Amino acid sequence: MTRAAVAVAGLVALVAAGCEKPLKPGDPVRGLTAAQRDRFTRGKVVFDSAFTPQTGLGPLFNSTGCGECHEDPAKGGFGDEVEVHAAAFRGGVCDPLVQEGGFVIQQHTIPALKQALGIDSEPFPPSATGRAMRTTPVLFGRGLLDLVPDSVILSYADPDDRNHDGIRGRPNRAVDGRLGRFGRKAFIATLDEFNAGAFVAEMGITDPAQPTEENIGGRTIPAGVDSVPDPEITQEQLDLTNDFVRFLAPPTPARLDATGRRGRELFSQIGCAACHIPTLRTGDSPVAALRHREFAAYTDLLLHDMGPDLADICLGRATPSQFRTEPLIDLRDAQRFLHDGRATTPEQAIEAHGGEAAGARDRFKALPPADRAALTAFLKSL
Amino acid sequence: MRYLPRAAALAAILVTPALTSAPVQPPTYTYRGTVHTVQPRAGSLELITGVGFALRLVQMRAVAATRIEKAGVAIALADLKPGDIVRADCRRTSLGLVADRIVEIDGTAAR
Repeated sequence: MTRAAVAVAGLVALVAAGCEKPLKPGDPVRGLTAAQRDRFTRGKVVFDSAFTPQTGLGPLFNSTGCGECHEDPAKGGFGDEVEVHAAAFRGGVCDPLVQEGGFVIQQHTIPALKQALGIDSEPFPPSATGRAMRTTPVLFGRGLLDLVPDSVILSYADPDDRNHDGIRGRPNRAVDGRLGRFGRKAFIATLDEFNAGAFVAEMGITDPAQPTEENIGGRTIPAGVDSVPDPEITQEQLDLTNDFVRFLAPPTPARLDATGRRGRELFSQIGCAACHIPTLRTGDSPVAALRHREFAAYTDLLLHDMGPDLADICLGRATPSQFRTEPLIDLRDAQRFLHDGRATTPEQAIEAHGGEAAGARDRFKALPPADRAALTAFLKSL
Repeated sequence: MRYLPRAAALAAILVTPALTSAPVQPPTYTYRGTVHTVQPRAGSLELITGVGFALRLVQMRAVAATRIEKAGVAIALADLKPGDIVRADCRRTSLGLVADRIVEIDGTAAR
């Protein structure tokens, strides 16, 4: 037996022993059936479609397709776009300004709307009390987050701070009262609804789940501006998109060296892990590849008060200063950090934490430089 | 030709109920959403509903016969306030949507 043959045999043995290649950004979860992989592939085509006014785009929109924003480092990833949201918070009640066109303020118009109303973007709602900037979130692993049972999320809630650790954690609720988990304010209950709503709010593409266009800053759409019959995509196109997003895997975290392992310890020791819960487990699912799966989530999907410096808009039961704990998934590929992208490094992001996270922030700031670097190295492995 | 009496009988069975039954009831709709505005004097209510980020307002009327309740106890329209989560069973009439029943839901137990 030659050396080469021995090497090949060894490699084969390793593979047979279950040595799995790390999942890269944009990969599907492991264990999908051939039919599910086919839907992932076909869903990616819809996700990456560029819509035009002739295929339903607009009249208001932020983007011409899902993949135009969620693109870095692979489809479903981050984007460099920053959009504008607005809401009014009065007397402790949040108004998402539906009567003025909703809380997503679209930045573009199709030519027919511009011609009819002379506007290049949706007017900022006059009754808004808050304005927010929102970066494009990564979508990897969202199918797993969708399947974390409500009971697990609620088990981390401590709205009255009964354990006196200064961290409360409270759930947000969708408009119909269901537990929210998607969006920076955890205002959306399910991944499918997040996607269906995004087609309409981000691209002006009506779908069977939301077959009506939103108004133009409170005005009805002028006649002749939107001639494509609603819904502008089919249920099958929506379902394929949902499956593509649902099956996007969280990339495998990088292997940690001694520094990274030290950083992981510190992450827990200084209190980051109190909200950024390292692992979550999915519940039941008809998709075996997603069922009862433990995964690195680094979130509790709850709202926490982050202090006045980060505060922007309310949404549902989230006050302007409350945000959902951001899942730390594919952090190594993030170019900007925090909900509005104000931070360009993980260190800046940590230092901008306030409110319930002030203690962890202060402990981070008090670390020796080598430990701060170790914690940062750990974050960049995710 | 021998099938004709059977076909006639079948047609009679199918057509008779349509000729003798009560008028068709207006379609009913159930909405679940967050109260946006309440105007007790006008008997009107606006709910925020929708899908994901794409929210919509649904306007409806509450009339004298509308049953409004919370935890099984009857309440008044004026007891509802913005931010409350409700389920409303409605039907479409010449006045627009009219609620037959509005139930305030405890948001923490709404799933």
